[in-house]
Amino acid sequence: MADLGSITLLLAVALAAYAGVGSLVGQWRHAPEMLLSARYAAYLTPLMLVVSMLVLVLAFVDHDFSLRYVAGNSNRAMDPWLTWVAFYAGNEGSLLFIAAIFSGAAALAIRLAPDEVRPALPFTTAVLMAVTVFFVAVMMTMANPFYELPITPPDGQGINPLLTHPGMFFHPPMLMSGLIGVALPFAFAIGHLLGGQTGDEWVDTARTWGLVVWATLTIGLLLGAWWAYTILGWGGYWAWDPVENAGLLPWLPLTAFIHSIMVQRRRGMFRMWNIALIILAWGFAMYGMFMNRGGPVPSVHSFGQSTMGWVFLLFLGVNLIGAFAVFFWRYNRLRSAAPLESRLSREAAFLLNNVLFLMIALVTLWGVVYPLVTDVFQGVIVTVGRPYFDIVAGPIFLALVALMGVGPLLPWRRASGGGLLRLLRFPIIIGIIAAIIAVALGARAFLPALAFGVCGLAAAGILREWVRGTQVRHTRGEGYPTAFGRLIMSNRPRYGGYIAHIGIVLIAFAATGSSFYSVQDDFSLAPGERAALGSYEVEFLGSTATPKPDRIERRAQLLVYKDGQPLEQVEAGFAFYPAFSMAATRAGIRQTPVEDLYILASEFTADGRALFRIHINPLVVWLWIAGPILVLGTVVSLWPERQRAAAALPAMRAVPAAG
Amino acid sequence: MAALALLACTSAVSPLSPEEQRAQGVDQSLICPICPGETIDRSQVQLAKDMQVIVREQIDAGRTDEEIRQFFVDRYGERVLAAPPREGFHWLVWAVPPTGIALGLLALFWVTQLMGRRPPEPQPAEGEVAALAPYLQQVDRELAGDGPSPGNEDSKENT
Repeated sequence: MADLGSITLLLAVALAAYAGVGSLVGQWRHAPEMLLSARYAAYLTPLMLVVSMLVLVLAFVDHDFSLRYVAGNSNRAMDPWLTWVAFYAGNEGSLLFIAAIFSGAAALAIRLAPDEVRPALPFTTAVLMAVTVFFVAVMMTMANPFYELPITPPDGQGINPLLTHPGMFFHPPMLMSGLIGVALPFAFAIGHLLGGQTGDEWVDTARTWGLVVWATLTIGLLLGAWWAYTILGWGGYWAWDPVENAGLLPWLPLTAFIHSIMVQRRRGMFRMWNIALIILAWGFAMYGMFMNRGGPVPSVHSFGQSTMGWVFLLFLGVNLIGAFAVFFWRYNRLRSAAPLESRLSREAAFLLNNVLFLMIALVTLWGVVYPLVTDVFQGVIVTVGRPYFDIVAGPIFLALVALMGVGPLLPWRRASGGGLLRLLRFPIIIGIIAAIIAVALGARAFLPALAFGVCGLAAAGILREWVRGTQVRHTRGEGYPTAFGRLIMSNRPRYGGYIAHIGIVLIAFAATGSSFYSVQDDFSLAPGERAALGSYEVEFLGSTATPKPDRIERRAQLLVYKDGQPLEQVEAGFAFYPAFSMAATRAGIRQTPVEDLYILASEFTADGRALFRIHINPLVVWLWIAGPILVLGTVVSLWPERQRAAAALPAMRAVPAAG
Repeated sequence: MAALALLACTSAVSPLSPEEQRAQGVDQSLICPICPGETIDRSQVQLAKDMQVIVREQIDAGRTDEEIRQFFVDRYGERVLAAPPREGFHWLVWAVPPTGIALGLLALFWVTQLMGRRPPEPQPAEGEVAALAPYLQQVDRELAGDGPSPGNEDSKENT
């Protein structure tokens, strides 16, 4: 069986290489049949990789410990449902997953390519296939999942306990897909530059794929936060860990890209800028994958030190140098179709958005590399942690949320000062009211009050747009629900974007509440004793220890009281894995819209006592609610527009700017 | 907004004593030396718990936050701090972000100036514009419902 997996890997790399080279040669020689065969090769590549994946999954299910990868990441005692998680728990499986998902997406992108991107499609295909070949080749030479051990061990080593969480079913695949997916819009951008198509032909397709990838990456990051919150047991969801940062870094320029690409779509502007942004996003995405594979900074996420990290770094360098070389080669052709008429315009707001996103990326990257700087120049190792990132990145995020309230209200081209004031009156008033409410409710410091005010401003800006649009339609005889629905459907990229913005406001709201107003305290309780924190009281009822084949489940039962009234029973504890001498936390969380009561049981002593750490984390639930809203917004944005509207778009760009 | 109102129920004042709040502030600025990246208020290992006890003992003994941090730096080196101190060489880590932001905004100002001066592309011929008229009217109708304010986006988009 394992041989079949190796053979299909070999076939995959050969097919992808042929698809890449064949499409270039076919284009150069004007041989349509060669282009067609190259395209079929690109369609076959994912099929081969899927066969390899199935072979590996079967090896896990069969407990085929003759494979080094299976022996290293699973054992007989493991719950069968964890097979899928074990599949990508190491370098080998995760690379196979990345290669398969990417080649599948690439085949889909080639298959679905609309007419306007066809002329440059051979070049795009070549870029896509180069990425595929790199991943499959690295996997085959440095981390082959089908490597057979000389002696088959009787049992495997088991899965890393920290991965035994439902979040692990989706977080790693979403994040990996999101990171590698950035190569799709990148390939369309570079393909069109290579093919000399320097106008707006690539924009719609790159926007579509950019949005799909953006949503995937966003959900991947949120699921990672959820996993950290429930299993790492430190009471938070984001620690500015080097690998968390590596996931955030590509998200920032990608978010900038899906905004500024709208300006090129509508106005034919920012042509150079958009290409630079997507190159940067791909650079950071490769950096993210590099950090996961033996990067220079220690982290809970790394798959272990290996030379593979440096191969990734080399690939990153080649990609960036190559992409920017093509960029500057075609630089002269990338002229904007229209000038920027005013700094008080939506175009300018988009530019400011882009600069702010890049600034966050820059300061985050600086925090990540600074320990290397001091190591080289001073010979000391320092930590750059939360205090740094909160101070330098927090205010820029806040500025972005504020811009989110103002930017969408600005008209294209130019706004008059008086008109602007009229547009912003309502959001600003609501923002101030929100800040006052926050202060009245106990936000005594300046920063959180400001942050809540800015959240109010951003939400009010969006609401104003919805209410006005709905009312205009209502006066024309539509009922309110119909009017609202038709309003959203009338300009999907825009109103879908607003829905996503609501999700972002919720994230900002949750982050403000939980980072400024979380409290925690430690308690040692005997059964029957109570601990008090804030308006809560927690009674320790007793504990259980349940042995499982590969672990011992320790649980404490607690009864939660609020203001003296018993509310509900929760369980907190951990699972101890003797093989790893490691514990995976199972936090007891009582979630309400206002705050989470978050209970950790860290130790059970022989006399029946237990050590608890209790957190009250305000507003965290809104973070998880934001996820589906972001997905909904992306889906609405991507929903195909009616044909006539799409046909009118390029025409609008060409209309002279006489306004 | 509705969500914001929910804050009403949140406890306005921290339930912790001022000393404990101060101690937790110090905890958050110290990294547990054996678990990279985790501060001692987060970490569950014994060393972190011992360090927390030392922090509280030293606060009771009347030491300042700075002195307590220095106590740990002397034993474990600078990496025990969650972020580099704002002194000496480490000014670099704190100075780069604001400088970068200032330069970025300056560059934005300069670029918007440049973009404003660029001449537009050749304009379409008369016939082309006439051919587009039905579409533009369609756009007019579509936009009438959702422009930011009448006479702003709607009219400018296609006049």
